[in-house]
Amino acid sequence: MVRLKKSLTALSALTLTVAALSACGSKNDANANAAASDSSSNSPSSSASSSPSVSSSSAEPVQFSFYFTGSQNVKDLWDTLIPMFEKQNDKVKVKEVYIPSGAGAEPTYDRILAAKKAGKGSGDIDLYEDGINVVAQGTKDDVWAALDTSGIPNLANIDPKTMADVSNMAVPYRSSAVVLAYDSAKVSAPPKTLDELLDWIKQNPGKFAYNDPSTGGSGSSFVTTVLYDGLPEDDIHNSDPAVMAKWDAGFSKLKELNKFVYGKGIYPKKNQGTLDLLANGEVEIIPAWSDMVLQQLGEKLLPDTVKMQQITPGFNGGPTYLMVNKLSDKQDAVKQFLDFVLSPEAQEVIVTKMNGFPGIELSNMSQAMQDKFKGVSEGFRTFNIGDLGTEINKRWQSDVAAQ
Amino acid sequence: MRKEVKQAIGGLIMVSPSFVLLLVIVVIPIVQSFVTSLSNGEGGYDLSRYQFLFTDKGMRSNILFTLKVTVVSCALVLLVSYSLALYMRFSSGKLVDWIRKTYMIPLFIPGVIATYGLMNLLGNHGWLARLLLPLGMTLPRLIFDEKGIVIANIWFNIPFATMLLSSALTGIPASIIESARDTGAGKLRIFLRFIFPLSYKTFLVALTFVFMGVIGSFTAPFLLGPNAPQMLGVSMQQVFGVFQEREQAAAMAFFTFLLCSVLGYFYIRSMAGEEAANR
Repeated sequence: MVRLKKSLTALSALTLTVAALSACGSKNDANANAAASDSSSNSPSSSASSSPSVSSSSAEPVQFSFYFTGSQNVKDLWDTLIPMFEKQNDKVKVKEVYIPSGAGAEPTYDRILAAKKAGKGSGDIDLYEDGINVVAQGTKDDVWAALDTSGIPNLANIDPKTMADVSNMAVPYRSSAVVLAYDSAKVSAPPKTLDELLDWIKQNPGKFAYNDPSTGGSGSSFVTTVLYDGLPEDDIHNSDPAVMAKWDAGFSKLKELNKFVYGKGIYPKKNQGTLDLLANGEVEIIPAWSDMVLQQLGEKLLPDTVKMQQITPGFNGGPTYLMVNKLSDKQDAVKQFLDFVLSPEAQEVIVTKMNGFPGIELSNMSQAMQDKFKGVSEGFRTFNIGDLGTEINKRWQSDVAAQ
Repeated sequence: MRKEVKQAIGGLIMVSPSFVLLLVIVVIPIVQSFVTSLSNGEGGYDLSRYQFLFTDKGMRSNILFTLKVTVVSCALVLLVSYSLALYMRFSSGKLVDWIRKTYMIPLFIPGVIATYGLMNLLGNHGWLARLLLPLGMTLPRLIFDEKGIVIANIWFNIPFATMLLSSALTGIPASIIESARDTGAGKLRIFLRFIFPLSYKTFLVALTFVFMGVIGSFTAPFLLGPNAPQMLGVSMQQVFGVFQEREQAAAMAFFTFLLCSVLGYFYIRSMAGEEAANR
């Protein structure tokens, strides 16, 4: 990796030198971020890659930078989608900047904010992909551009409620959902509702595990689903602390479950912690992210007998959002790209590549896709309870873990 | 200028880099987190955060749990290390050579990897359980339990403690032991009267390092420990990173610092005593 980076740096240095020597003066270097950001503050168009000989007049395409993070599957997705988009729109080029998961995605947001505070414009980050936390943070800091259907007609394909959850500041372009993953060799009839699941857990002590909710979304989803079971539908879109009073019934259910879960009250850390237990056969049912299960089935990390089941009321899923930098001077190009991402055609790629759910409403997808998600997507809900998530974790730690 | 003044200035200049470093990366952060921990979130300053540490049931059991794990780990690590060091000092042969060559290996294995290795080895369906299965034995729960943390701490700390102690034992002249043996002292007597007192200082150093390392440990307790009670390091991370209560986390950090400084006091006192004796 290091060697690769070094050789890339050397290569880009060489490219720059050659470019300077041949006096063409154009930059077609995709790696030298720093150089690109320097020049973009002077003249926005100079960072666009153009062939040296062609005259740089009106035909010059606009290039914007798209920062994203995640596992390798996210990178593969964009490596497929971006060429598709560029083929259709020769006026816009997308410079993708991939930051591997855990390699400092946080600084990307900090860079956006720092550039804004320093009056440096967009900081050369025009489009950014991240979860709901960053959307909320950025809305607070006023760094995202509000989006509407005038620039992005396909935005109409998205459930308006989901857009309202983020005050139109971000595009939920895909989702993963939490489902029950179970070993079909041991469990012949998996629970289909939350009540059935709770009964199953009590009848099969030690065979169910969910992870510590503060360390991963799948455990957190299980806890949230139990807490909001029987509460009005509106409460899952409500971040008002008054809702907290309604959690008591749910927490007493979770407390009661304590002696029936794996190891009489052991909650592994991280989403992977429970998947490991399922893989080595210590437990039979767990809540897990659908894309993680599908990926690990593909890599033979989980036995072939592992299957998935959504329950009603459904576990919550988490959309992944695309945010447009408010200070970007290439917003039109970015919006063109977002419109493409939300087209049924691109969404189908997302579904097949990522094993995730489409960001747009299913009725806009092809019949084949609609059939694929029959029964699975119905139970899938989006929660938006803001800071209450922290309160849930806090109370879970004191009430359930340390009872 | 007088010679003493010159010398004093020279000394000050030589001390100042380490002093500044200490000031910036140790003293100032401690003072800052102490001030942070005193704010009660409503603009005022009081000891409510510390009160919470001792009145909240979960927190209190976290503190007791941390102390218990730390004391047990220290005792076991020092017992094993001291025995190993003694064995390497006073025995010879192939086995000793092998121990000498291999006991440092854990130092070179990254903590996370070693922790996952322990999980695979000691887990309910792990290697050890599978090996013991034909013999009809079942393991008690080791992973997701305090026993797992203690085992990991032993793994992490033995090499360094053994290294310190064996260098101290090597420093004891053979002539002392031989002359004691000549006058008829038994093995236990030699150990209690000569070997232990002569290596006591290093023993204290080793204890200090193990104690500090264990009480502030994070990786192993996070991955191997129970959900509750937690070690202070894990709980601190949760309070800071998940619950986002900076002041409470600062109070916990300062409390941990106080615990460590108790040991630090004994350590420094014994070192100062030695210097005074050498003068």
